[in-house]
Amino acid sequence: MLALQILVNGILLGGIYASIAGGFSLVWGVLNVINILHGSFVVLGAYMAFFAYTLLGIHPYLFVPIAALLLFAIGLAVQYAIVNRVIDAPVLVSLTLTFGLTLFLDNVMLNAFKADFRKVNLRPPLGIIDVSDYLPAIDIIVPVDRLASMAFAILLVALLYWLLRRTSIGRAIVAVRMDRYAASLMGVDTRIIFAVTFGIGAAMAGAAGALLSPIFPISPLASTAYLGKAFVICILGGLGSVTGVLVGGVALGVLESFGAYIFGPEHSLTLSFTLLILLLIFRPTGLLGKRGFI
Amino acid sequence: MSQPLLSVETINAGYGLVSVLHDVSISVMPGEIVCLIGSNGAGKTTLLRTISGVLTPASGSVRLDGADLTGAGTKAIVRAGIVHVPEGRRLFAGLSVRENLLMGAYLRGAGTPEVRRDLDRVLATFPRLAERASQDASTLSGGEQQMCAIGRGLMAAPRLLMIDELSLGLAPKVVDELVETLAAINKSGTAILVVEQDVATALALAQRGFVLDTGRIVASDSTRALAESPEIQKAYLGAELELAG
Ligand SMILES: Nc1ncnc2c1ncn2[C@@H]1O[C@H](COP(=O)(O)OP(=O)(O)O)[C@@H](O)[C@H]1O
Ligand SMILES: [Mg+2]
Repeated sequence: MLALQILVNGILLGGIYASIAGGFSLVWGVLNVINILHGSFVVLGAYMAFFAYTLLGIHPYLFVPIAALLLFAIGLAVQYAIVNRVIDAPVLVSLTLTFGLTLFLDNVMLNAFKADFRKVNLRPPLGIIDVSDYLPAIDIIVPVDRLASMAFAILLVALLYWLLRRTSIGRAIVAVRMDRYAASLMGVDTRIIFAVTFGIGAAMAGAAGALLSPIFPISPLASTAYLGKAFVICILGGLGSVTGVLVGGVALGVLESFGAYIFGPEHSLTLSFTLLILLLIFRPTGLLGKRGFI
Repeated sequence: MSQPLLSVETINAGYGLVSVLHDVSISVMPGEIVCLIGSNGAGKTTLLRTISGVLTPASGSVRLDGADLTGAGTKAIVRAGIVHVPEGRRLFAGLSVRENLLMGAYLRGAGTPEVRRDLDRVLATFPRLAERASQDASTLSGGEQQMCAIGRGLMAAPRLLMIDELSLGLAPKVVDELVETLAAINKSGTAILVVEQDVATALALAQRGFVLDTGRIVASDSTRALAESPEIQKAYLGAELELAG
């Protein structure tokens, strides 16, 4: 039963992780930009949700679309004004640039919000579901806030998939990812697609931040941890693929969950990066082994 | 005489400091099929890129139906009615055949009745694409990929369709099929500018031709006259025979 409980915890965690990684993977895949800002965007979304709840009483789950919209606007502006200038430069240049922007944003948040860890304490709390109340043979508990956050997170990833596959702008994003030159021959303005893609990536980060605000502590110091997770998930699941993000997210969640039980929770980040290194050595195309498909 | 649909006048263009095209002038009349021939590296692709706005010429002009499109950019040029089907097909892998075709209509909005009608029409023109409409475009054979690339171009509802290297790497039977289909497309009113290495195919398809050699137009005439010209025979048809033999 304990193993099952740990597995369930891991899956709940993994769903939320998938939403953190979705936007990061999209931006990396389409723009070939490793957006170091992504973790800070998650934190910014979480702060927005925190203040929306404590000051205005807006429930974090209701705030998800607003966080997405606000971060979309910020992402669009950052890309169009700044990142677009280095879009054709080698990947290290944009990495350095977004790293610099992250230092800036994290320090602005440190000044504005201080380094204290905060958390949205839902009132009343959502409580837990004791599965054995319904199925006596299965003795596990499920925290409702995690379950709800995971469900919304998966919905968010599904929405990203729908956007990419079923809308005209989504098709253009995939087309630009596959062949920038051919896309421009269709009249696609690649600079605008880049900006929109970056905006969507930021929107996903903001939405994920709002979703995890009732669960994880919020602090500017957390941005690197979120970035690290997004990075590991992309490598686990394969780059730029929505299904890969889901697989990678759940894989990381389950792994961390068991790792935390066996080695202690303080080692979960070490564990995921150890896994990352092993994977890069033995299976660089990711668990699914396919590359380049959204 | 009527006004040319496409008129390219004394274009000089290239890549950065490397100039490739020197005072190139060509024209395509409404409803015409024109071929552009020339050996590897002559500048055929560069000329198409200059017409479609990927490259901006250093001097000279590109006009469609009299309207100046020089340096207008690909988006405006596709909107105006010139579509460039690139060398090597360059379909979007990961997207289905239908999605590839819809990408051709990107600027027209995918949901409009006209676009849906054109999609049906393209699928009727290329029944093999209709059979594979939901398949990933990267799973198509070479000939089917070329059909899909041409279909994608047609989805923009162009007035001038430019095809780079129509037959490259395709089996002769498939090429015959494509030539026939292009003739039908042309009959319904679309002018075509086709770059073709296989001179026999080019001359069979087009009414008029231009010969490009190291960035300069060295001959332009009806395809019949070109086919009979000793220089062309020696330079291209002869070389073909040698290669084939
Ligand atoms: N992207 C490029 N950058 C620099 N030079 C190029 C590029 N593409 C083609 N060229 C040069 O331009 C010349 C003409 O090439 P191209 O137009 O592709 O010829 P063709 O299509 O007739 O084979 C060649 O010398 C080629 O090396
Ligand atoms: Mg060429």
